[in-house]
Formats: sequence, C-alpha cells, structure tokens
Amino acid sequence: MTPVQRAIRGTRSEWRLHALSVFSVSVAFVCLALALLVVVNVDAVRDAWARSGRASAFLRAGTTDGVAREIEAAVAAAPGVRSVRYVAAAAARDEILAGRSDAVLAALPPEAFPASLEVTLTDDANATRAEEVARLLGALPAVESVDTYRSFTERLAAVLRAGVAAAGLLSLVVLGAVVSVVASTIRLSLQRRSDEVEVLKLIGATDDYVRGPFVIEGAAQGALGSLLAVGIVFSLYAIVAGRFDGELSLLLGGGPRFLPWQLVVTMVVAGGALGAAAAWGSLRKLLTV
Amino acid sequence: MQRTSGGGWFRPLLRKGERFDPEAARRPLLVFEGVHKAYRADAPVLRGLDLTIERGEFVFFTGPSGAGKSTLLRLLYAAEQVDAGRILFMGRDVARLRPESVPFLRRNIGIVFQDFKLIGSWSVWQNVALPLEVLGVAPKVLRTRVGEVLERVGLAGRGDEPAGTLSGGEKQRVAVARAIVCEPALVLADEPTGNLDPQLAVDILGLVEDIHESGVTVLFATHDRSLLDLRPRRVVVLDEGRATDSPLGLVAPGREQRVA
Repeated sequence: MTPVQRAIRGTRSEWRLHALSVFSVSVAFVCLALALLVVVNVDAVRDAWARSGRASAFLRAGTTDGVAREIEAAVAAAPGVRSVRYVAAAAARDEILAGRSDAVLAALPPEAFPASLEVTLTDDANATRAEEVARLLGALPAVESVDTYRSFTERLAAVLRAGVAAAGLLSLVVLGAVVSVVASTIRLSLQRRSDEVEVLKLIGATDDYVRGPFVIEGAAQGALGSLLAVGIVFSLYAIVAGRFDGELSLLLGGGPRFLPWQLVVTMVVAGGALGAAAAWGSLRKLLTV
Repeated sequence: MQRTSGGGWFRPLLRKGERFDPEAARRPLLVFEGVHKAYRADAPVLRGLDLTIERGEFVFFTGPSGAGKSTLLRLLYAAEQVDAGRILFMGRDVARLRPESVPFLRRNIGIVFQDFKLIGSWSVWQNVALPLEVLGVAPKVLRTRVGEVLERVGLAGRGDEPAGTLSGGEKQRVAVARAIVCEPALVLADEPTGNLDPQLAVDILGLVEDIHESGVTVLFATHDRSLLDLRPRRVVVLDEGRATDSPLGLVAPGREQRVA
C-alpha cells in the first residue's frame, strides 16, 4: 500500500477532523486572498493611470481663443501626441457643473474656471515623453501650469505599497494559522491513531514510513484549504462584480480583475507546502515505542 | 541457518548496505550477558542476567507480576534500553543499535501481546498484512502469504471481518498470524493468554507450539503456572531480578500433559 493510499485510508477514518481543518485553513487563506485581490486591482488602476499619458495645460487668464487654437494645432502636430482638445473657460464650467447641483460652484463666474488644453498621448509614449510634452507646454507663455496626474499615480503607488505590506503581514498571519491548524490536526489525528502508529513501530516500520501518510494529509489539508479559499473569494468576486460592474468600472477606470492564475497556483502550492511542513514538524517526536 | 515456518532458510532482514554475516547463523540466537535493568535504583528488575537461547528453542519466562518478564522482552525488541550488559541477537548487540536500525531488528521478531494490539477498525486481513506492507512485499505474494497464515491460525475465510468485533481468542489468533506472517527468526509472546479463559489459553499455547514446531524460536512469558505444567519445556523463572533456568521445565518427568 502506497503512502498516498494509506493517507486516504487515514483521512477517511478521520474525515470530520480533516474537513474542520480544511475549513479553518481556508478561513485564513480567504483573508489573504481578499487582500491580494485589493492589491491586484489597485495595481491595475495605477498601471492604467501610469500608461494613460494624459496632461492638462491650464491657460493664463486673458488668453484668447485664437492663441489657444494655435497652440492646440502646434501641440497636436508634436510627436507622441494622439489628440488635443481645447476646453474654453465656459466649457470647463459646464463640464464641472454637469450633473451637480452645487450652488457655490454655480455662482462662480466663467472666468473662475481656467481654459485648458487636454492632451492625450499615444499608447507607445512612455513616461519620459509625457514629461517632455509637459515641459514643452509649460514653457509656452500662454500656459500657466501643466498637470500630468503623476501625483495621483504616485498616491496610488503609495496605496499599493501599503496594500502589499498589509498582504505581507497577512501572509505571516496565514502562515501561523496554517501551521497551527494543520499541526494541531495532525497531532490530534496521531493521538487518535496512536494504536496504528504503535503497531507500525512494533512491526518494524521506520519513522519515515509512519510519517509519510500524515505529511501527505497535512499537505492535502493546506492545499485544499487554500483552494477552497480561492473558490469562496471567487464566488464573492463574481457576485460583487456582477452587481456593481458599472460602479466598479467607473471607480477603477476599467473592469475589476480576479487574482491571476499564477497567484492562485502559488497560493495552493504554498498551502500544500505549509501543510506538509507543519505536519512534518508536529511529528518530529513520534510515539516512542 | 534456521528453517523458517514457510520451509525456507531464514536470512535476517538487514538495512540497505549491511551484509549478512553467515557466521551469525552458527551463533546462539540470543545471548544475555550481565543484563541489568532498573526503573528505580533501589529496586532493579534484572540483576546481571546471563542466559543463552539456541535456535529453535521454546522457552517459558515466568515469575510473579513485576518480576521483569515483559521488561526482558521489551529489552529484546529495543523498546527499553539495558542499564548494563549486552543482549546479542544473532551476534549483534541490541542495546548498541542506532535508533534507525531498531525497525530492522523488529522485522526479524514477531511479537504477540496480552492486549493483542490490533487495529480494531481494520479488517483481520489488513491487520495481518501490515508487516508485509511495511516490507513492501508485492501484492500477489502478500495475498498468498496472508491467506496461508490465516488458514494456519484457523481464521480462513474471516479476513474481511473487522478485528474489533472478534472474540478474545480470535483476536489473539489474528495477533499470532500477524507475528508470523513475515516468517521471523524469533517470536516473543508477552502474556498472550493473560486476557483469555483457561481453555482458550491452552488453544493459543497449542497454536504457538505449532509455530515453534516449524523451527521458529519462541520466548513465551506467562505467570500462569498451569501452562508450564502442560509440557516439559525449558523454563526461566524470574524473581527479584534473578533468573533461575530449568532446562527440563518445572514438571516432573512422566507427568507431562498434552495441549488440547
């Protein structure tokens, strides 16, 4: 009988205990998977903004439409620029007030809203090119200031770093939880099957022979627990994404993303490895016969 | 070399890389040299035990409770360590074995316990097959061997029954079957009749004697004097740490009783 067959026999005889362990492990992994899901989506937003290549050049008060149109034509001809849109002060006011019922904003005169040139770069334009275009625009006398939205991307990057740090801490919590749950389960299982272990040792089974099925059971608990967690998180994701797709798209600037398959595989493999290591560690001292 | 219960020649099960020493086959199977064992310093269980057991012998170990019968057997299969002295099993000192060598010692010894030590939720077949599984015997050979052994102990056709549901006598038969399924050089029976009524005790003794007839060395620990009176066998009486060896048994010649 192979160690796997013996592990299956052991799991069958203690299936309730193993099911409880898998569930407990999955709870820990759900926390980690949710944190990773947030990180993945924040990263997607940051990436989208970093690659969007947008800039707004705000024109000085008093800049005529004619000057603005000349600058628009000149910038549109520059390499790496996909399009330029001139937004006059009145149009800017209308855009900001659209869909809002803010009396304070509505009371402001059109001059309070600066005219701007909204520049969109081509997809292949990199960050350096975006900075060059911004510098070029900023050097024009009619341009008061240029915003490339880099500060927003940097803020998102900071959020992302915090998210990654939180996920790292959660990983440690998950590691502790998995090791503790699996080790406790295996120790309990060992106690309940102490007769079997005692007999095995008395008839000449080596420690590795005795440990084998328990380590496989631990690995299975870790892997199944993480797989169950991924299933639970995916179900939650499908419900939320299906119900709030529009809102999420608006918020994230694109559709929400689930965990990439490489991350899922890593989680399952890590769960299995942690479970095996926890089982191995808990069996260092087998029943002494 | 010694004939095994299966009719073949005994060859000890060695660890990988270790070579069989043919010279060992000509030595006594067991030699106790000045064996000392104490759980409490003021009450030693064994005090300098010297004893030699040849291949194919059947030896009773008897004495009052706590005399050291079980301790002696536990020392043999390295569940306990001697405080002083040597126990040579086929020429090798059991007390000096490294922990990783102990399983390979035990594969050469079949053990029958008073409390059977069966896995109750497993079938009779699974319990008996376990030593062969540990050895990695091919499934076909395993099936044949387990079938033969079950037949030998009178449990043919009972392989599928859960061991936990059997009577005491039947459980002990399963334990005997498990002890001999690997054709060990030595069978240790540690009070195997302690939990059985007198008739079943005699039955189990008869079964162990049958196994001995095929050439296996048997050490049978019991405090039941009535079993010793059945046949004139070598008896070692343990008391207060000392051993008294009676090579012809405790029964006066001419008063032997047959085992039923």
